[in-house]
Amino acid sequence: MSVNAKQLISDFKNGLWQENPIFRLVIGMCPTLAVTNTMVNGLAMGLATSFVLISSEIVVSLIKKLIPGDVRIPSYILIIATFVTFVDYFLKAFYPSIAASLSLFVPLIVVNCLILGRQETFASQNPVHRSFADALGMGIGFTWALLLLSAVRELFGMGSMFGLQILGDWYRPMVIMVLPAGAFITLGILIAIMNVIGKNATNDTTCH
Amino acid sequence: MEKNSTKAMIITLATIGIISAILLTFVYQWTIPYIEANQEETRRIAINEVLPTAEEINQVERESQIFYEGYDSSGNRVGMAYQHSGGGYNGPIELMIGVDLEAEEIIRISILNHQETPGLGARITEEEYKSNFAGKPFGDYEVVKTPPSKTMEVQAVAGATISSANTTRIVEEAVSMINNAYGGGS
Amino acid sequence: MSEFTQLVLLFFGTVFVNNFILVRFLGICPFLGVSKQVETAMGMGLATTFVMTLTGAATWLINTYILEALNLPFLQYVSFIIVIASLVQFVEMFIKKTSPVLYKSLGIFLPLITTNCAILGLALLIPLNGYSFIGSTVFGFGAGIGFTLAIVLMAGLREKLEFGDVPGVLKGVPVTLIIAGIMAMAFMGFSGLITI
Repeated sequence: MSVNAKQLISDFKNGLWQENPIFRLVIGMCPTLAVTNTMVNGLAMGLATSFVLISSEIVVSLIKKLIPGDVRIPSYILIIATFVTFVDYFLKAFYPSIAASLSLFVPLIVVNCLILGRQETFASQNPVHRSFADALGMGIGFTWALLLLSAVRELFGMGSMFGLQILGDWYRPMVIMVLPAGAFITLGILIAIMNVIGKNATNDTTCH
Repeated sequence: MEKNSTKAMIITLATIGIISAILLTFVYQWTIPYIEANQEETRRIAINEVLPTAEEINQVERESQIFYEGYDSSGNRVGMAYQHSGGGYNGPIELMIGVDLEAEEIIRISILNHQETPGLGARITEEEYKSNFAGKPFGDYEVVKTPPSKTMEVQAVAGATISSANTTRIVEEAVSMINNAYGGGS
Repeated sequence: MSEFTQLVLLFFGTVFVNNFILVRFLGICPFLGVSKQVETAMGMGLATTFVMTLTGAATWLINTYILEALNLPFLQYVSFIIVIASLVQFVEMFIKKTSPVLYKSLGIFLPLITTNCAILGLALLIPLNGYSFIGSTVFGFGAGIGFTLAIVLMAGLREKLEFGDVPGVLKGVPVTLIIAGIMAMAFMGFSGLITI
């Protein structure tokens, strides 16, 4: 395998586990906690964020030389906000029920620090193909983490998965799991578990 | 040098802004018909739900509010539907209410949009809660936690008293809006 | 209810009942990242409150007189984020010129505020809830105070936690999240206190 392909694969794999946005970097917490009350919401948020991440990393990587250093951040935010508006109208037009249940958190993708952070640390310094690999890996990493968190919350909180009742009538749903309190506690426990699996626990919020 | 870089900064931001605005205009033009059709469809389904016996719906404007009058196949008015919204637990709740003006009672309600907690407040959309209002006379309702024993009592969704109380308040408001526009239900 | 009572209720409702951090999940990043010491948490909270109050007023004006007047709803997100970014920049320059002391204590937090989702969330909630101009400003101020309250409480708990015996795997982020969960449960006690 050529060096180039190896590089691409490692860029891609980075976000899946080693620098997983949620479990290792602990960024993008607002949507992570807010929309993971059902698996459908978690998946939709993961995909929407991935789309914005991939498109904006491609664009930023393409025009990085044209942007003066001082207006870097505002330019990135503008680009991101444009893609977010696109996603928002797309969801409202073709998936109205998902758009309704994610509501405010679709526009809030604009300020998801994961996306801005990747522009700053990766796309602005690397060529398009590597930025694409990075964005894809980060997007999938973000999505699977959201799915896992929402699976735990929906299963215990409502006894269902993807809206299908899994646990029978004998199960009394732990309502706390779908409430804010349950979101914080579940994520805390999941990160602790990931720290045990990943051993070298270094997570500390890198962006505020 | 200083001046040049300031100029470059402004030009860059303005260019990105203009491109963004143009692209979004296209996105808006492309999606808005679908979005409007979705809203229209949700409204139509809701009106059908709250006026099940109506064959034909007439949209009328009174007191600068829009009402939907339902007529059966022989042209008799079977009821009125009205869309109303108000604050819920997490955000606005939008509902459609169908009333029988002659009998001065609610036929049914239907929830169009809400932001309530899944598994709790979101259960205001379920039949168990909505059926509370079926056949209720106009007036002020009382939210109770046990199965209702009096006519004006409405049973709250378990664990979601606030969502239930808010929805009930929105229903009361909607009824008084209709009463105002139609002169006390005559 | 008089206009004034409603504003007072809106303020307390925003601080306690619909707390931005613990109920609405807005502004979690600074809540986890800048809550190690009470003093810095206070600084962050005050800087955020300041920007939020201005954002409340500014977004109402932009939304009413530009976006709604010219029928440009699709530019809402883009224009709100520009307003917030420029507001933060402006506040930074203003404080730097007028009060070096204040700048020293708040300055380092200001650049971080642009990407604080509590601010954009606030801006987006204003047209959604249909507040008046004064209402928007009060809502922004209340949101800021609520944010400050949660972040300062968390910092106080974390300062105490320094001396606690936390199991190894829970150290750092996990235990902070679990504490936040317990705080969220406590704040659930306020629900229903005020309905707006």
